[in-house]
Amino acid sequence: MSLDKKMRILIVDDYATMLRILRNLLRQLELENVDEAANGEEALFKLRKSPYDLVISDWNMQPMTGIELLRHVRADAKLRPTPFIMVTAESKTENVIVAKQAGVSNYIVKPFNAETLKMKIASVFKVAV
Amino acid sequence: MLHEPPPETGKPIELGNAHTYLNRVIAELQALRSEKKHPLLGVLQYLSDHIRQTRQDLGALRTADGALLGTTADELEEVVAETARAANEIMGAAEAIEALMPRVGKDVATELLNAVTRIYEASAFQDITGQRITKIIRAVQDIEEKIGALAEACGEGEIVGGDPLGDAALLNGPQLGKTAATQDDIDALFDSI
Repeated sequence: MSLDKKMRILIVDDYATMLRILRNLLRQLELENVDEAANGEEALFKLRKSPYDLVISDWNMQPMTGIELLRHVRADAKLRPTPFIMVTAESKTENVIVAKQAGVSNYIVKPFNAETLKMKIASVFKVAV
Repeated sequence: MLHEPPPETGKPIELGNAHTYLNRVIAELQALRSEKKHPLLGVLQYLSDHIRQTRQDLGALRTADGALLGTTADELEEVVAETARAANEIMGAAEAIEALMPRVGKDVATELLNAVTRIYEASAFQDITGQRITKIIRAVQDIEEKIGALAEACGEGEIVGGDPLGDAALLNGPQLGKTAATQDDIDALFDSI
């Protein structure tokens, strides 16, 4: 089994540069069905409007941080099953614990490389790469 | 009574006024013959010296135009903006290279893909440095506020910053985007001289 190349991915970050990096790296994994949001609030609006197969989100954003977005997603019966990867510079143990307790599917610390991104996505979908 | 008390205005006494008041008390105490005055004089003199030193230190932080750390946060914000612009330029160039891949052989395309991927990965530095510098900007702004409040409490009159000398008096480093003169501005100025 391999990654579904048509999966809809929502990437969320307040740094336009990071959105561009993520989009480019995902394209190299042949994952091109990518949509963007600049903060948690915008992401939640998009998620409620139409379903996504995966959310890849930064933590530090306003309005609505990545962890707040995650909690909203997990509290919403319709959105709850959506895999959610946190990509953040917040690498303190307590942050990872908080995210895990909130139901994050995986956690990537910035700076990261394409290989890490691929491995984490594959891990979330339990596929071999 | 040795001296007049500070005026009862209902407002806290400014440090600058307090210093003047303290020095007056010291002078009046020194005029007394009592031997018991010496320990108290020592303490008051220490306080007076300390206030004077604080005012000098604050003066040293102040630039010739009166600003404290006024431009430091702006300079750092400009660093963030400049690196973001550079990162986007680099990525734009990498994307242009990536677009050429279908036009080259498979081996070369693979090599190009690996190189372009490394460029994308490395471009993430801007996000990390941006976050770190933003934290520093907040700290500088906080320090700036506290120093400003302290300078105000010390009184403005006696705090004078030193003017830079030599090249330092001329060189300000790269201009801040929001106040920068354009090349056209410079050309117009140059032609007008």
